[in-house]
Amino acid sequence: MAVKKDYKDQQLAEKLRDRKYYIPDSNPEFIKDVEKIGQTAAHMCYQCGTCTGSCPSAPRSSYRIRLFMRKAVLGLEEEILTDPDLWLCTTCYSCTDRCPRDLAPTDAIMAMRNLAARRDIVPRNFLQTVQLIYKSGHGVPNNDANRAARKKLGLDEEPETTHKYPEYLPGIRKIIDHYGLKDRADKILAEGE
Amino acid sequence: MAEVKKNEEPRIGVFVCHCGTNIAGSIDVKAVMEYARTLPNVAIADDYQYMCSTPGQNKIAEAIAEQKLTGVVVAACSPRLHEPTFRNATKAGGLNPFRFEMANIREQNSWVHMHQPEEATAKAKDAVRIAVAKASLLEDLVPKSVPVEKAAMVVGGGVGGMQAALDLANAGIKTYLVEKSPTIGGRMSQLDKTFPTLDCSQCILTPKMVDVYRNEGIELLTYTEVEQVEGYIGNFDVTLRKKARGVITPAEAEARGIVGGGCTGCGDCVDVCPVIKPNPFELGMAPRKAIYIYHPQVSPLIYTVDFDACVKCGLCVEACGEKKAVDLEMKDELMTVKVGTVVLATGYDIFPIEKKFEWGYKNYDNVITSLEFERLICASGPTGGHLVRPSDGETPKKIAFVLCAGSRDSTGVGKPYCSRFCCMYSLKHAHQIIEKIPGAIPYIFYMDIRSFGKMYEEFYYRIQNEGAKFIRGRVANILEDPVTKNLHVNAEDTLLGRPIDMEVDMVVLAAAIQPTAETEKTRRLFGVSCSQDGWLLEAHPKLNPCGTTTAGVYLAGVCQGPKDIPDTVAQAEGAASAASIPIHRGEVELEPYFAQCMEEKCAGCGLCVNQCPYGALSLVEKDGRTVMQVTEAKCKGCGTCGGFCPGGAIWMQHFATPQIVAQIDAFLLGGEQ
Repeated sequence: MAVKKDYKDQQLAEKLRDRKYYIPDSNPEFIKDVEKIGQTAAHMCYQCGTCTGSCPSAPRSSYRIRLFMRKAVLGLEEEILTDPDLWLCTTCYSCTDRCPRDLAPTDAIMAMRNLAARRDIVPRNFLQTVQLIYKSGHGVPNNDANRAARKKLGLDEEPETTHKYPEYLPGIRKIIDHYGLKDRADKILAEGE
Repeated sequence: MAEVKKNEEPRIGVFVCHCGTNIAGSIDVKAVMEYARTLPNVAIADDYQYMCSTPGQNKIAEAIAEQKLTGVVVAACSPRLHEPTFRNATKAGGLNPFRFEMANIREQNSWVHMHQPEEATAKAKDAVRIAVAKASLLEDLVPKSVPVEKAAMVVGGGVGGMQAALDLANAGIKTYLVEKSPTIGGRMSQLDKTFPTLDCSQCILTPKMVDVYRNEGIELLTYTEVEQVEGYIGNFDVTLRKKARGVITPAEAEARGIVGGGCTGCGDCVDVCPVIKPNPFELGMAPRKAIYIYHPQVSPLIYTVDFDACVKCGLCVEACGEKKAVDLEMKDELMTVKVGTVVLATGYDIFPIEKKFEWGYKNYDNVITSLEFERLICASGPTGGHLVRPSDGETPKKIAFVLCAGSRDSTGVGKPYCSRFCCMYSLKHAHQIIEKIPGAIPYIFYMDIRSFGKMYEEFYYRIQNEGAKFIRGRVANILEDPVTKNLHVNAEDTLLGRPIDMEVDMVVLAAAIQPTAETEKTRRLFGVSCSQDGWLLEAHPKLNPCGTTTAGVYLAGVCQGPKDIPDTVAQAEGAASAASIPIHRGEVELEPYFAQCMEEKCAGCGLCVNQCPYGALSLVEKDGRTVMQVTEAKCKGCGTCGGFCPGGAIWMQHFATPQIVAQIDAFLLGGEQ
């Protein structure tokens, strides 16, 4: 276990915190959960870095998918689930296409997001997306600028979705309600206020 | 031959090679060729893209005929590779092949002066001028043929030596297999399983040991060491020391007139022997008596008395009874055998890993080496195959494997090279504990996993899938919990970018390997070289990996450098094949670089005789005078005697004083002054 020292100054205590990795800090079941949800053999990752090299998010952010795979194998559950970077994956699946061990790192990330969501750890913008989908059937609903552009192109202002056929919205809401997603999103957002 | 032949005007042909851009990239080949035309004695100078190609060689042969050349110079690469090629071309043109001289303008010039074309070109001109000076004075020489003894010797009875001996014997060559320990089998017999097939090591080795024992072409000499080596390719006289074993074989008993006697391997003597010693085969982890065998599968199954430990109580003699196999008064015997070629397969030792203090071997109970792990996990080992912690006999659950322990270490303490099989056997160890100990987790600390062989990467994949944990980072140090005797392994997980403190029950160090303690002795006995890391040196790392710089001596297995079992066996077969060639040809040609005595100048002082490292010189009476005589087959042409002779009475063929002086003169006095 991490060695704790009694510094009076809390800032100093944080600065000098023991950052070593100890086996008891890890949860060996975590990787099994990730594999079960993600349906990919994440423990076979040999850390070549093809994933991070392929990632369009990596050059523009601190998101490092290889590091998430490594931490998952080591069972660093707390660290992964509380890391905001977990939500920087665009799910483009480039890493999955190129992984030489034929793993699906994207799906491992999605699995870890699932596990984070179980603890109500989800960024606000993702939760707002849930609300938008619930409301309109779209994560990015149509807006006036878009309508004008569509019109210019000779298209209907509303696309062939719930925007044009709002009668299908109750079906979408039923799915979201089945998982209690909207209620949780509302609750978490309200708590965060 | 004592005089420089002056009966012909030298006519030298010079050929400058471009070697693609290897030479022409930095040397002005045309300028060198034009320069050669201006040199004395040069009858023709030419250049070509690749002199070693067939058209290039044809140029030489044609020029010899057309220009009536007396000598040939090729300015190209190192003579190491293509001197034989151009000698053959010279011969094809009708000249004696020793009329050829090579100027190295590649390895010693264009490659090292890649960015100095002017200086490189000037140096190439010098090299050509020097070579022409020597070529002008070259003489016809005739290689000497010597007969080859139709027998071979293999030194070392591990898997490599056994394979080499079997191949030689099966090729119809009488083979002496010399092994210093009481049984053949070597390191491989200490291993439990082999990667990546997980074959039981002993199970695949024992049949080979039996084959060796039964093969009529192999004379198996265990508990025997090489004492002295004399002679040269085709005719090595090897003196062997048969160490006193204290026990006689049934054949030896018969020779002594003891009917039905000799050791049958019954082991009755062991039960009564009162002396207990650690068994080196079990790395000291199990006891043996003063009369012993290493393990049940030894070959030959003959007991051995450890005379350093034996108190000569005589109980074993009594227990043996009428078989009269035990002879406590036995003495070492010397025997001499004559062989044509020799294969060295002397194996390796484990690096004393306690020298790396930070890992605590021999200081912390639960830090062991991989070879100790092999014995502990082996069903016939000291614990019957139950892996236990030395501190308390408990079964370890969390085991750390430390790779590159002492390998890839340039501190001067460890070894700079990769020991090559540690990654793979550590993967195998991980598999074995997962298989044998429920709930056990192997943690493998590595820098790289070098799984380079056939089906090796697949094996790595398999072991990772079985649950082995991999941590990329070299172990910095290990600390022991003094109460629990658990170990704290400190490293960085370099993939995580964070230090790790891992508490484990046991640590297995994949210790480096090193040349055996006897390597230096072996090297001197057989006149072979070793590389800077101490392993025996092959003739060429790529193109002659089984040969040595001493004709007739070949290398097999780890004595040449770290390698696993498949590579060892492959090299053994290569060495056996190479060693059989001179024997099957029946005679070998020796390069005629012999020293010659100019008897009219020789004062018979004999000083040279003691200088000769090869014992090739002796004093003889001739016409009432004492003069030196050279045994040409023993002479290696090293020039020690020629340089030393106070009277200048020794003529070194092909490296004669006038030839060398002409080269020096050409360098110092010739050229564009």
